[in-house]
Amino acid sequence: MKRLRLGRLLLLGSALVLLGAPSGAQECLDCHGQPGSTVAFKDGSSRDVTIDREAWAASVHGTMGASCADCHAGHETYPHPEVKAGSLRDYTLSHYTSCQACHEDQFKKQLDGVHIKTIAAGNKNAAVCSDCHDPHRQRKITGDDGKLLPEGRLGIPQTCARCHGEIQRKYRESVHGRALVDGNPDVPTCIDCHGVHDIADPRTTAFRLASPRLCADCHTDPRKMAKYGLSTQVLRTYVADFHGSTVTLFQRRHPDQVTNKPVCYDCHGIHDIARKDDPGRGLQVKANLLRTCQKCHPDATTNFPDAWLSHYVPTRDRAPAVYWARLAYAVLIPGVVGGMVLFVGSDYVRRRVDRRRHLDRRQRVEPS
Amino acid sequence: MSAPDTFEPPPTYERFTLSDRVQHAVMAASFLVLALTGLPQRYIYRNNRYLDDLIDLLGGLEAVRVVHRAAATVLMLVTVYHLLAVAHRLLVRRVSLSMLPRYQDVVDALGAVRYNLGLAAERPRTDRYTWEEKVEYWSLVWGTIVMIATGFMLWNPVATARFLPGQWIPAAQVVHGGEAVLAILAVLVWHFYSVHLRHLNRAMLTGSMTEDEMADEHPLELERIKAGLAHPAPDPAALARRQKLFLPVAGVVAALLLAGIYWFVTFEQTAIATLPVPGK
Repeated sequence: MKRLRLGRLLLLGSALVLLGAPSGAQECLDCHGQPGSTVAFKDGSSRDVTIDREAWAASVHGTMGASCADCHAGHETYPHPEVKAGSLRDYTLSHYTSCQACHEDQFKKQLDGVHIKTIAAGNKNAAVCSDCHDPHRQRKITGDDGKLLPEGRLGIPQTCARCHGEIQRKYRESVHGRALVDGNPDVPTCIDCHGVHDIADPRTTAFRLASPRLCADCHTDPRKMAKYGLSTQVLRTYVADFHGSTVTLFQRRHPDQVTNKPVCYDCHGIHDIARKDDPGRGLQVKANLLRTCQKCHPDATTNFPDAWLSHYVPTRDRAPAVYWARLAYAVLIPGVVGGMVLFVGSDYVRRRVDRRRHLDRRQRVEPS
Repeated sequence: MSAPDTFEPPPTYERFTLSDRVQHAVMAASFLVLALTGLPQRYIYRNNRYLDDLIDLLGGLEAVRVVHRAAATVLMLVTVYHLLAVAHRLLVRRVSLSMLPRYQDVVDALGAVRYNLGLAAERPRTDRYTWEEKVEYWSLVWGTIVMIATGFMLWNPVATARFLPGQWIPAAQVVHGGEAVLAILAVLVWHFYSVHLRHLNRAMLTGSMTEDEMADEHPLELERIKAGLAHPAPDPAALARRQKLFLPVAGVVAALLLAGIYWFVTFEQTAIATLPVPGK
């Protein structure tokens, strides 16, 4: 149905262009460029419909000469048709579909996203296209290679903060958020973990179980980690341990199975991830680590955090007890079992030889 | 004495009492369950489809962990029973402790190697327990001690860290897994060869051996039995007296050991209780 309406819209649009209807936005701006005009909705809310000329001219739509009617079909004539939407929000929700005509891929992806699902579940406040990308102001945020420009990356947390302000405040103070502001090209913004357009619900068990892979995308990348002197063994050492084993097994076999074993963010924080040497929250500081352990192991005492090797591969200096235990069994198992195999093998062969000789002797003594 | 047409069953020689055989069966069953539920846990990180399948087949990881602990409890119980049975043998029946290692076992082992390599003319003649059986028994004793000690640390990590350095817990995990692999491989190679492959030894099922089997595997013991030197009948009065003393003491020791097992399995809850899922 959506498609049909759109088809009609496009048809109408092109017909109007052919008939000499306003192309570009100049004609519309004659009125909408002047401050003061508003639209009233049935619920009493209203909306200032003034368009900032300069912002429009600098926007990606403005620079490419898009026409207002591309999105606001039916408004080419004056007086404009009566607005049927009951509220400003309803108007937005009934118009975001017009983005599909040009941005088909992104539009389709966001239909799978958590925001559209939230709207479908009855919360009209969840974001649609224009809530993040104001169509009258949105600048070009990707370069010619399709990758985000630095200023595009910087703007992402602010965009999400329009609704998720509390989270953005935490992120801003985190090791990633601070580095982003400093122009660091490596740290993740919101979309690097949550995706863009087809944003998954992060509250599901499936998201939780898969989350270590998200962190690992960067934290096992030797080129990125070398710059900051960070270990790339974090995933391997996590998976080798009890917590990580459980989580990865569930993730690959039962992605919806709830588990209380921690994932990366249970210890490191979700958005307020601190540097490992942060005095207040860094996990390299033993008191902080103990407090983190106690979230799940309330009786844990001073020695307990050492039971976790802090993502270090056990070496003679770092975790001697573990290192020597490994070495001992690396020698013991092949040594003992190898010795057993050698003896058993020699015994088997010897007994066969003995039996054959015995039979031969008997045959010689009692020829049949 | 017997009519010539009467069937006379060939003589058999008791090797394992019913108590021994029940201990073996319970121990073997718990060992098998521990291996089946332990190995796939140890190798989760390997991302092996078949081990993952095995975990699912056994009811999923959480169930596997509970079953592993239940089987460990059974193994500890049979260990307690075994300790008491050995104490009874030592203190009440006062039979010789033929399972104790002796210098002769080293001589026999070297002799067997030399014979297999063709460096000796005769296979060493072995007694009630061969050196191979002693290797197996004492490996089991050693392995059980190691597994119980490290298992305790993994079962009760928070309590362990109160007395020991925290790093001992991952070390215990390494030892627990390493010893498990060692034990399983040793059983597969040593035990399977000596009692299943070489010839099927049914003594642990029937409790006894035929004369031929005895002559083949325990010639010295057979000679002593035939000479009337083995198993001298104990004095019934002395036996009853010692029994009277043993039973209450054993009862107390058993109660203490059982209390120890109870303490072991309930020492702390953090490792097994289902904590609320973080963030929920």
